[in-house]
Amino acid sequence: MKRFLADMKKYREYAVYSAKSGLKAEVADSHLSWLWWILDPLLFMLVYSFVAIIVFGKGEKYFAAFVFIGLSSWRFFSGTIKQSVRMVSKNSAIVSKIYMPKYVLIIIQMLINAFKMCISFSLVAGAMVLYLVPVSYRLLYIIPCMLVLFVVTFGFSCIALHFGVYVDDLSNLINVFLQLVFYLSGIFYSIETRVGKALGDGYVTLLLRCNPAALVIDSLRKCMLYNTEPDFAALGLWLAVGCIFSAIGIRLIYKNENSYVKIM
Amino acid sequence: MEDKKYAIEVKDLKIRYRCLNKMSIKQSLFKLKKSNMEIFEAVRGISFNVPKGEIMGIVGKNGSGKSTLLRAIAGIFAPDEGSIDLHGHTVSLLSIGVGFQKKLTGRENILLSGMLLGFSEEEIRERMPDIIEFSELGKFIDRPVRTYSSGMHSKLAFSITAILETEIMLVDEVLSVGDAKFKKKSFKKMKQLINDKDRTVVIVSHNGDTLRKLCDTILWLHDGVIKMQGSTKEVLPLYEEFMS
Repeated sequence: MKRFLADMKKYREYAVYSAKSGLKAEVADSHLSWLWWILDPLLFMLVYSFVAIIVFGKGEKYFAAFVFIGLSSWRFFSGTIKQSVRMVSKNSAIVSKIYMPKYVLIIIQMLINAFKMCISFSLVAGAMVLYLVPVSYRLLYIIPCMLVLFVVTFGFSCIALHFGVYVDDLSNLINVFLQLVFYLSGIFYSIETRVGKALGDGYVTLLLRCNPAALVIDSLRKCMLYNTEPDFAALGLWLAVGCIFSAIGIRLIYKNENSYVKIM
Repeated sequence: MEDKKYAIEVKDLKIRYRCLNKMSIKQSLFKLKKSNMEIFEAVRGISFNVPKGEIMGIVGKNGSGKSTLLRAIAGIFAPDEGSIDLHGHTVSLLSIGVGFQKKLTGRENILLSGMLLGFSEEEIRERMPDIIEFSELGKFIDRPVRTYSSGMHSKLAFSITAILETEIMLVDEVLSVGDAKFKKKSFKKMKQLINDKDRTVVIVSHNGDTLRKLCDTILWLHDGVIKMQGSTKEVLPLYEEFMS
């Protein structure tokens, strides 16, 4: 823990600068550059609106904002985990030349993804204004929700990074698994109303409590759109679980990171 | 205070490569029980000290563990057994083609590499003009590194580590960088860096001339163990005889 804090301090400057230049590099490579950060969620929102409204015949209240919240948080969560699996081999040029704690790479990626998430959350804000969504002090609950999202994502990513070094096709497995979780997270449908109607309320609690992505997304919607209290007990529990996973992940990385280079 | 005199202390160092490479999930499920991993020991229990300010050359045939040893000193590899003590000195590994982010410009890469070496942003910005001038990249410094030729690539790499000086420098065959002119210049710079009394340098090279000109002592590695260690005059002729 001490070492983690010391290293964080030492590499903070590097992480921030590296994230900035990562974003810059991404922009430099495409024609529409930063517009993609807005276009991407916007286009996906249209896709899911099509699926939900045309195919299944029913949307939710404030549908655009509803989907944006789900999509933005989900992309942060799953994107970071997916990228972490191949993180070490992707950065082999640096990793094999100089020492740094390998989770710094995850933090850089998280900063990049968080920045993109902020941009797509501005779409949420835009949609909320258009829908004239009434807001209250509950908007502040975004902060604990985000905290849970960050800690849980970091923990999962650390563990994914570690095993991704050793197991070559882990990324295939994780992609499939995340796809499953994607459909279980209620990105473009409401778990509460849909699953509740079809299977009963027991499943709703199960899905929301066992899946951190679903929980965070649901909580964000509650405090931003529907002006109700999120499930604080479950959020607190996942915060604790996230911390434990992070601690295990950091430990694993510290213990093994110097043999990563030998494997690549 | 015997300790303070040494910049690098290596004790019973062993480094193994487990040849487990990467596995697929299927393989790891079925093969884990057998665990017939092939273990290759690249460095087999060596001990030596490098006094502060000394310039040590490492020689040995290909695959004798030179680069592995260098990387271990740089902190990239953890020793499997034994220890490496740098007494808190800053260390940098100078090798052909440091890791750059290919999409970013040379200037940004200088900052990133410098920060990884433990310098602050201001320190790097201060020395940025020197680095750019030394690298002879001119306008290319503001273009993405992927557009660089391999010569430019290594020139930049060399310039970064040469200008951002660390207390211990590890050099891996770097003296063959760029064209003849740059080679001369980098050699001169190396000499100047090396002649600094406080700096400890470890050089891996196959070039006898270079070693003769630069090094105080030579460490001869053979199949992961020290075959000989002593002054350049003593060891180098024997090594060259052995190799011919």
